[in-house]
Amino acid sequence: MKKIFYLMVIASCMVACQNDDTDFSAYTNGTATIPTHVINISYNGNSVKVTGDNSGYVSVDGADVTVNATGKNDSLLLVLSGSTADGSLLVFRDKKYGIQLNGVSITNPDGPAINNQCGKALYLEVASSTKNTLVDGTAYDETKSYQQKGALFSEGQIFFSGAGELDVTGNCKNAIASDDYIVVDGWPIITAQSSTGHGIKVNDGIWINGGTLDIKVTADAARGIKCDSVVVITRGDITIKTTGDCVYDEAEGDYSSAACIKCDDAFTMTAGTLAMTSSGDGGKGLNCANIVNIKGGVFSAITTGSNEEGKPKAVKGDKGIILSGGSFYAKVKKSSACDNGVDTDVPSEWVTVVGTPFETSYDKKEIKVVF
Amino acid sequence: MIMGVGAEKKLSKKASIGLEAELRTRNDLKTIDRWTLGIGGEYKPIKNVKLAAGYLLLNNNFREDISYKADGSYNNWRPSYWGIRHRVYASVTGSYKLTKNLQVSLRERWQYTYRPEKTVERWDFDNYWWEDKVRNGKGKNQLRSRLQLEYDKKHALLTPYASVELYNSWAIEKIRYTVGTDINLSKQHAFNVYYRFQDIQHADADDATPDMHYIGVGYKFKF
Repeated sequence: MKKIFYLMVIASCMVACQNDDTDFSAYTNGTATIPTHVINISYNGNSVKVTGDNSGYVSVDGADVTVNATGKNDSLLLVLSGSTADGSLLVFRDKKYGIQLNGVSITNPDGPAINNQCGKALYLEVASSTKNTLVDGTAYDETKSYQQKGALFSEGQIFFSGAGELDVTGNCKNAIASDDYIVVDGWPIITAQSSTGHGIKVNDGIWINGGTLDIKVTADAARGIKCDSVVVITRGDITIKTTGDCVYDEAEGDYSSAACIKCDDAFTMTAGTLAMTSSGDGGKGLNCANIVNIKGGVFSAITTGSNEEGKPKAVKGDKGIILSGGSFYAKVKKSSACDNGVDTDVPSEWVTVVGTPFETSYDKKEIKVVF
Repeated sequence: MIMGVGAEKKLSKKASIGLEAELRTRNDLKTIDRWTLGIGGEYKPIKNVKLAAGYLLLNNNFREDISYKADGSYNNWRPSYWGIRHRVYASVTGSYKLTKNLQVSLRERWQYTYRPEKTVERWDFDNYWWEDKVRNGKGKNQLRSRLQLEYDKKHALLTPYASVELYNSWAIEKIRYTVGTDINLSKQHAFNVYYRFQDIQHADADDATPDMHYIGVGYKFKF
């Protein structure tokens, strides 16, 4: 009897090695066949030509296009082309999808040029060798039941890719805004400018892994990139310029200054180039509420603004500025080059250098560390 | 299939302590469902009454979970995963001899099971990617009531029994029907074989198994 028991235990252990999960491997390894539903939307002045709309997603009013694909499980790609001075694209959907900008120019006088109301991922491909323009109006129709936060606005994540040109201009709020996070892959050439708000406003982080970004903002207290979470740069050529002054924030009881990058969580750079200039009163280069970590790449922050109301800083990292690779340059015309949250007047103590740099120079208004 | 092995040490006529281990399988023996290690003690304050308490470490292979959208399409898939649970219990058993060899007993057992927080992966069919899902820590109280009838003849090789056990957590969650027999080879060695049908009534996600048929075998060493 004992032998039988032991044999049963051993046999059970030997065979009990399979799981009983449903086989979804075709989905998880990417071999599942998902038919792509391609809808071509071609703007032509005050009208639009739509082809491929086999499921009746698209409705058109003049050149204002609404795509309603909620509750649909297909793989959707919208291909935009043509030009309009009074049009838009508004998308309602609850599954990820793609938009290909294939040489399109959209100006919407009373709202965003593209408003993505999908909370999932938006794959935004800037088609190679094309030039694309998105411009919003100076005043939005605020009677809408959905949010409108910029010329290019997305409720969900935006994954930029491609190698074409994309110019986004925000005349009312921000140029580009996402209530989720943003990833830049590939090598798109993106210009974002705003005279009223931020260049890129994003809630949950931005990862720049390639591309050329040229951001210009002119409004007082506007930020080139305003991020409520982390900023991570692993590649790409980024230029950011702000010209606005600081403004008194009644709610905060303090001055709010312009900044090329303002992030509430950590800033990390491992490669690429980042050149920031801020010229307004109290303007900052990088203003980070957490730790600044520069491990590689070419980092430059220069402020030329006055310190009449605000305190211009080239780099401010409230929980430290750690330099362990690449090239770091911070310069101010007024105030001090860096602020790492430590109460000290010694410039070399404003940054933490890890390793042995090739060149260092520490001055109150100019700090340079090159590995 | 349920396989158990245990050891019991008598401390006195009234008290004993013991160790136990158990392995459960599902999916026709092909998947390990759970293994358990436990320690406990028993005390008989008076004739016909037994008190018991103990601790069990449970390592569960939690079953997959698939959620669907309103149109029937897939929403998320969380594959099966291994997770630890901790359980403490206390019980009181009262028994009564109907005849010389026929005994009826009622065991009331309270148990508290805690599942610590764990981050698991799930597949998002909307985005076709894996995402982290935090399963928060969760504790649960249950009252188990077992009514058992057994034929216990002195010095007999077999002690057959049948029982019904209700799992109650503000509602009847499951009912276990068991028939089996102890095989008393000697004072030290005893085997146990049984068949069990588990009828799921209102189980929560952690116990969300289908109705199950089990064959169980066990061995206990007494010293």
